[in-house]
Amino acid sequence: MQVKELLRSWKTWISLALIIFLLLVPFLGIGGGYLQTLAFLTFLYVILSTAWNILGGYTGQTSFGHATFYGLGAYTTSILVLRGVSPLVTMPIAGLIAGIYGLLWGYPCLRLRGQYFAIATIGVGEATRLLMLNLDDLIKNIPLLKEALQDGVLTGGATGLMLPTPEDIRAYAMGFYYLAMGLMFAALLTSWWVKKSKFGLGLFAINMDIDAAETVGVNTVSYKNLALVLSAFMVGIGGSIYAQYMFYIDPQTVFGFPMSISMVLMPTIGGIGTIVGPILGAVVYIVVQDRILTANIEIGTFTLSLSTLHLLLYGGLLVVIVLFEPKGILGLQKRLVRRWGKRAIEAVPVKKMA
Amino acid sequence: MTIDIPALLVGAILLAGLYATMSYGLALIYGVMKIVNLAHAGVMMWAAYAVFVLIVNAGLNPFLAPLITVPVFFLLGMLLQRYVVRRVMFAPPISSLLLLFGIWLIMQNISYLGFTGDTRAITTKYTLMTFEFLGIAISINRLVVFCVGILALLVMRQFMGRTYMGKAIRATAQDGDASKLVGINTDRVMEIAFGLGIALASLAGSLMALIFAFDPDFGRSHLLKAFCIVVLGGLESMVGVALGSLVLAVAEALSVLWIMPALQDFVSFALLVIVLIVMPGGMMGLLAKLKKT
Amino acid sequence: MAVMIEGIEVSKYFGGLAAVHNVNFRVQEGEIFGLIGPNGAGKTTLFRCITGVYPATSGKITYKGRDITQLMPHATCVLGITNTHQVVKPFSDMTVLDNVRVGAFFGRGWKQGEVKDATKEAMRVLEFTGLAPKVSFLARNLTLPDRKRLEVARALATRPELLLLDEVVAGLNPTETDMMIGLIRQLRDNGLTILMVEHVMRAVLGVSDRVMVLNFGEKIAEGTPKQVSTNPQVIEAYLGKSYAAAAKAEQQSNQQVSKQ
Repeated sequence: MQVKELLRSWKTWISLALIIFLLLVPFLGIGGGYLQTLAFLTFLYVILSTAWNILGGYTGQTSFGHATFYGLGAYTTSILVLRGVSPLVTMPIAGLIAGIYGLLWGYPCLRLRGQYFAIATIGVGEATRLLMLNLDDLIKNIPLLKEALQDGVLTGGATGLMLPTPEDIRAYAMGFYYLAMGLMFAALLTSWWVKKSKFGLGLFAINMDIDAAETVGVNTVSYKNLALVLSAFMVGIGGSIYAQYMFYIDPQTVFGFPMSISMVLMPTIGGIGTIVGPILGAVVYIVVQDRILTANIEIGTFTLSLSTLHLLLYGGLLVVIVLFEPKGILGLQKRLVRRWGKRAIEAVPVKKMA
Repeated sequence: MTIDIPALLVGAILLAGLYATMSYGLALIYGVMKIVNLAHAGVMMWAAYAVFVLIVNAGLNPFLAPLITVPVFFLLGMLLQRYVVRRVMFAPPISSLLLLFGIWLIMQNISYLGFTGDTRAITTKYTLMTFEFLGIAISINRLVVFCVGILALLVMRQFMGRTYMGKAIRATAQDGDASKLVGINTDRVMEIAFGLGIALASLAGSLMALIFAFDPDFGRSHLLKAFCIVVLGGLESMVGVALGSLVLAVAEALSVLWIMPALQDFVSFALLVIVLIVMPGGMMGLLAKLKKT
Repeated sequence: MAVMIEGIEVSKYFGGLAAVHNVNFRVQEGEIFGLIGPNGAGKTTLFRCITGVYPATSGKITYKGRDITQLMPHATCVLGITNTHQVVKPFSDMTVLDNVRVGAFFGRGWKQGEVKDATKEAMRVLEFTGLAPKVSFLARNLTLPDRKRLEVARALATRPELLLLDEVVAGLNPTETDMMIGLIRQLRDNGLTILMVEHVMRAVLGVSDRVMVLNFGEKIAEGTPKQVSTNPQVIEAYLGKSYAAAAKAEQQSNQQVSKQ
């Protein structure tokens, strides 16, 4: 019966059409592969957004330090690939390393409540970035650790690391495109499964009232850490595929505060704590980054390049969202639907915790 | 490279004064409203640019510039609280965090638009002046900054302890409802407390502009240091903030003896995380606990 | 009757302040045990020591013979002790059903696969507490009496053997209070042991089998409701010395009358 309902909903048909379109993108050659890259980035950012949402949206622990996992994933892959490991093999390792790092700083930091945890994550993010930036110089004189250096380089410092590009780059890009798409669906599936499960129920309970959750038997410490590790793992894999697609990474980009910010922004814009929200947020983010910020507005003789306005835009969005619609785009949509009295069938399907 | 420890320590002490000014505003706002003001960094940055314009473009004496910026920012702070921040006072703390963060981003962008991302520095006839004290060369700039900072804190101390508004602020910080019951206009108090916090941040920014170079991203690492100090200091007292500032400044200064200068900031970030975890009550809390056992 | 829970010289200090000081108590299986005392006496603190929200500074608490002093609240919950809160703490953005399902899922360790059972259990509890018609309401849209019932329902869903009720009738009008008391009696008749903190004398003295009185963190009396309510020290704690003297005098004259 649920399947029939789904088939009737226009949402399903649109999603199906969208998926078919996405599957065909590499063959359409739009803009000489430009759309393909854009779509790839969207897949990547959906993964990141969804991953952050598990910790930030479901469990309510706002992390401003998720770039640490992204960077670790990217660097793990890059470092291993430069030493001859097959790129695809490095992916789970990247996720694992990110997950372990998450446990390392997550366990002590998660003991902090709300705001304090958020601040601690800013500190961890910056500390990690500095560490990675200077790692080569740090270890070059330490006997055991300096073995990890290859031609005097482990992380490459500010110049970053460059990966060898494959010969048939078009075939590679196409294959990778589908890989990323597959991973995106895996991430979404994970998110959906978590939300439906006992684990998810516990996370939401922690989000709403951690003391009450603890009182009725939720092992809040374990659950919070588990959410963090899962989130970290997913972001780590995201970082890994980024490295494999771009062939170049540097600490400022992958460990930078702007990266962490983006991961907070996307689910917040789209609709925190939902499954679709992070997708919307990622799409909005990518579209804005790509289209709007490369545009120019002409007012009379005065040309304003919007590329200088991205902080204003995101800051403004955040302010507007916090003040007027904390539940983001999805929240706004639901509100409008209620206001205009449309039939509930068309609204967001009731997410039954079956 | 010979390292002159006494000079290092003196430098640290001078810096501590500045750190304390920068942190106290943050502590004040958090104490009264339980809001972590991420826009603190933006305010320091804007104050730096304001002072830059005043000194470089208007030719104002660098040590008089704060007299103009601080009152302006105080007003701005009050307005911000009244019309924006108040709306999220009773929302979950994450809302105010994100809101002020958004405001910080906006502030950054406005600076980029107005001044581009170029690093600016203020050089005046005082910048390179030093004088000798016990064989150590002390920068006049830094000394004045230190003195102004300490002066400001002392004034604040008197204000908080002796005036009606000061006491009202402390009362509201301890118990908002009780304060209302005894007739304190807590809305007004919060406006003023927020304004004061912003004013102190702007003072810190104005002073920092004389010592450090800055760009629109300025303030982030200082914000983290301020957090570190506030948490170290235990959030309750000015003495705590002063002590915390000293500890951090000295730790940073001495850290160059062991680690690379590039990682100096790492010290403060690591310290922040460690202190948050190990000593949530700060040093003062720790001391209090030690006294009682 | 077996001893359900026992506290031996339990103390909890906050800094230099003794919130609870050397309190000994023993609750028998199947009884309703009342815990009363003036404000600030340490009742809620003692509760929290039992469930593990605060670790006791010193002393020992055993549950069915097992030392639970250092256990965390979720662990004590799984063992069979659940408490409600003085200020109710519902999961605001969840439905009534989900609120209770959290308890059902976690309190007694239902595994993931037993979803249907947890839902059934939740529904059973909701019907028992009279919240069944409001299953899909969001918790934050409930009235206070309903929230209190939700709090109890959620606690019950964890299948406790010992239920700690913290001022569960506070804020309820007399009719609602009576209904809650009726519920409590029913729970006891179904085999639950209940430890309740209460200020509303009518409620606690009327339904408890035994009562313990705390003042300034120390136990000052223990016994049947009647014994406790006529205890001069208790009266003094609540009403002051002059009333206590009057009560004592009355007690003595009653004794003289009965002697004659």
